[in-house]
Amino acid sequence: MGQEKSEFLKGTLDMLILKVVALGPIHGYAIAQRIQQISRDFFLLQQGSLYPALHRLEDRGWLKAEWKTTETGREAKFYGLTPKGRKQLEAEVENWGKLTDAVALILRAAD
Amino acid sequence: MRWYQRFFRRGLTEKKLDAELRFHLEQQIADYIATGMKPEEAGRRVRLEFGGLDHMKEECRDVGSARFVETLFQDMRYGFRQLGRSPGFTVVAILTLALGIGANTVIFSAVNGVLLRPLPYPNSNRLAQVWSTNPHTNRWGDWVSYPDFFDWRAQNKVFEDLVAYRTWLTNITGGDHPDALFVVLASSSLFSVLQSQPLLGRSFLPDEDKPGHNRVVVLSDAIWRSRFGSDPHLVGTAVAIDGESYTVIGIMPPRFRFPLDLPEGFVPSAWLPLGLDPSQSDRGSHNYRVVGRLRPGFTLSQAQADMEAIARNLAQAYAADQSLGIKLAGLEENVTSEVRPALLVLLGAVGLVLLIACANVGNLLLSRAVARQREVALRLAIGANRSRIVKQMLTESVLLALIGGGVGLLLAFQGLSFLIKLAPSVPRLHESTVDGRVLIFCSLLSAATGILFGLVPTFQASRIHLGEALKQSGPSRRLGSGPRLRRMVAVAETALALMLLIGAGLLIRSFVRLSNVELGFNPQNVLTAMIMLPESRYSAPNRQAAFFKEAIRRIEALPGVESVAAADSVPLVTNDTGSVSVEGHPEPTFGGVWIQAERPKITPGYFRVMGIPLLRGRTFTWADNETSLRVAIVSEAAARLYWPNEDPIGKRVSVDEGDESEGRIVWRQVIGVVGDVRQDGLADKVRPSVYTPLSQLPVPFAALIVKSRMDPRSLADPVRRQVMVVDKDQPLFSIQTMQEVVADSVSNRAFQTVLLSLFAAVAMTLATIGIYGVMSHSTAQRTREIGVRMALGAQKHDTLRLVVGQGMFLALLGVSIGVIGALVLTRFMSSLLYGVKPTDPMTFIGVSLVLAAVSLVASYVPARRATKVDPMVALRHE
Repeated sequence: MGQEKSEFLKGTLDMLILKVVALGPIHGYAIAQRIQQISRDFFLLQQGSLYPALHRLEDRGWLKAEWKTTETGREAKFYGLTPKGRKQLEAEVENWGKLTDAVALILRAAD
Repeated sequence: MRWYQRFFRRGLTEKKLDAELRFHLEQQIADYIATGMKPEEAGRRVRLEFGGLDHMKEECRDVGSARFVETLFQDMRYGFRQLGRSPGFTVVAILTLALGIGANTVIFSAVNGVLLRPLPYPNSNRLAQVWSTNPHTNRWGDWVSYPDFFDWRAQNKVFEDLVAYRTWLTNITGGDHPDALFVVLASSSLFSVLQSQPLLGRSFLPDEDKPGHNRVVVLSDAIWRSRFGSDPHLVGTAVAIDGESYTVIGIMPPRFRFPLDLPEGFVPSAWLPLGLDPSQSDRGSHNYRVVGRLRPGFTLSQAQADMEAIARNLAQAYAADQSLGIKLAGLEENVTSEVRPALLVLLGAVGLVLLIACANVGNLLLSRAVARQREVALRLAIGANRSRIVKQMLTESVLLALIGGGVGLLLAFQGLSFLIKLAPSVPRLHESTVDGRVLIFCSLLSAATGILFGLVPTFQASRIHLGEALKQSGPSRRLGSGPRLRRMVAVAETALALMLLIGAGLLIRSFVRLSNVELGFNPQNVLTAMIMLPESRYSAPNRQAAFFKEAIRRIEALPGVESVAAADSVPLVTNDTGSVSVEGHPEPTFGGVWIQAERPKITPGYFRVMGIPLLRGRTFTWADNETSLRVAIVSEAAARLYWPNEDPIGKRVSVDEGDESEGRIVWRQVIGVVGDVRQDGLADKVRPSVYTPLSQLPVPFAALIVKSRMDPRSLADPVRRQVMVVDKDQPLFSIQTMQEVVADSVSNRAFQTVLLSLFAAVAMTLATIGIYGVMSHSTAQRTREIGVRMALGAQKHDTLRLVVGQGMFLALLGVSIGVIGALVLTRFMSSLLYGVKPTDPMTFIGVSLVLAAVSLVASYVPARRATKVDPMVALRHE
């Protein structure tokens, strides 16, 4: 895979994880796959940062976790979004919007 | 899982984390196999991509607040192991810390017990004392006259109630023996103002404060136990006080004390209502003290303003109040204001000692930090983060400090009782204990100490560079050991020790100066005891005079007694200060200042017993009695003041005997001049004295003074028995030797001086050890360099000069800084000093020389060791 491995900002990672989880309960491996998929392979997750991030979000009360059986019959830890997490996601999306707007403004002005 | 679940089910959490990560790995491997990769290749690739599994697990574990507590326990266990590994260091450090923290705890207990603790009355911060002020008497606050008090009480709007009180010495008779009774006479609302009620019975009724209705008494718990055997039916019965019958109406609880600021040994046994008629009291006699409870909502300053207005009205209405003012002070401060400066100075000093101890322990830790660099480097290399290592090392320091603090706390129990024994007359000190607040102080201080001395070596150790440290095979490279840091610490220690030594030196000089003050009398082999003749049996003056004459005659006949006298004003024991009139000098002031004189009434043997020299003329004899010429003897100071440049013999003086109400002044002829005595204490100025014969001016209260040929204490019982022969119901009060009295008067100063000197000595020892340690370490580091020098031809004395020079440089730097610090700080001590300025050059120079000399020795010893180095060995030394 010759993609550019971009460095993830920790905060951005949190937001992406929350978004992915918002779509329904999902386990860690699937989250990694999903992010890679949806971004069309732009983000190749540094494996080392995913699980600490998941545990951190869970400790903060934004994700809740449950051990369930997968379709293949294996036991896995499924993460879901809590109401607090949903609010946090909305807030972060809004901030991200503001950030990108501001950057776009600056870039346009510099032309 | 929530954080608390994670904490308590650590094992389960571990397993789950493992399972979760394993699942991910297996899924990834399965996917790679599905794309056609071989299983082993897939496995290897996945593990590579995943990175350090353990590291990730560690990071996952680090998430969450439970982590802090977990790691804390881990660090503590690790810390214990580390401390156990170097027992020598640990023991030294713990002892040093125990001494420092223990001493601080002891002094803080005293500060807490005396200054911080509220008074033993509910809501004591609302209680205030009210004083009269008179610009002429040059005193901070004067006692109050009863009519003034009565008007204050009626006219003020700021106090819930005001209470007047005074103390009185009387006796209680009946039973098998009389007892001297020290009592408090007070307004009937005393107990409601103090919000303290008797345990048994009741307190006074307002009616009982009127003349004729006041034959009731409330007893203290102590006398209820000692004299009445805790008789539960005592309330309601009658006792004989001062020859009169009083009904016991209540018994106070054991801990009750009022007033709180009486001299040592004067503990009230009973409280009685004043029973005074204000119209019959003299507005000019200031014999009472006043305390009151402020109304809610009024501050002290508001109350002060209100009372001042009242005082102004009274000053206009009555001649006796003409120049009088009024002053309020919170009762809490009033009680402790005398000892506060000393206690605070001691607290500061002992804090400095702890700082020095911290510095020493910090230096010790620095040495250990050097040795542990490899350990730290290793931990960093396998992925620990620096903050975790810092946390662990700080935990170790705090652990050490807490253990030291614990030992110190145990020492503090002993130390406090020792302190209480050493300082007899500090109010409220005997009730000081190691209570909750002190325990909290001790714990916080220990923790803070641990963080303080742990910070420096910790940061030193954690700042190392990985590569360098791991390369070393031996432990003794200087990397990160910070010799400069250690030297700075040694300089700081020296400076602090110097400041303490100067403080102690100033106190010692003050004390020596004070001890050399001329008392004016000879306290050796003199016994004193006080007698109060009750009015009921001794209302006639000639009976009073006859009692003393007879008592003296009998006591003089005892074996071992040289001479006996009685006087109602004896230095340091009791006084009668008042105004004196000089014939031909109508103004009451001398040189513009209103001076009060001592007016002792004495029996003929007084000067001989006290060893006061007769300078001119003659002393009294028994021939000077009520029928002969009225005479007086003056002291040197009085002679100089009243008749400067004239011979006082033959002049006339009056001691305001109270016949003035009839407009007749009783003039007395001066027949002799005697030496001065220090009436109030060694540190106070000499007051002029005018002596009158007791038989010409009898009083019911006097001190018996007995000069003996041997230990005066052995005469206490024989004297008491002789007095009982004269009057079987007459007890003696406050029997002491004159030397005890003199020692007591300086006991507070002695106590401060001893303590501060102790602290200074400890500080000097610690600082010297500090310098010795730094110099030893430095020489050890420079062994190679010294070897090279010697190989190049340096002589022993060159090496000596090198090392000692370095040590002395540090010491002198420390001394200089200390001198500057002392110059700034000693002014806070000035109220404790006597005859010595806070910047006394002799003390500063002397102490600096001493400390410099000690530092010289401390540097010399390692220097000598350095000269014994064999250059060949040194050159090969790593």
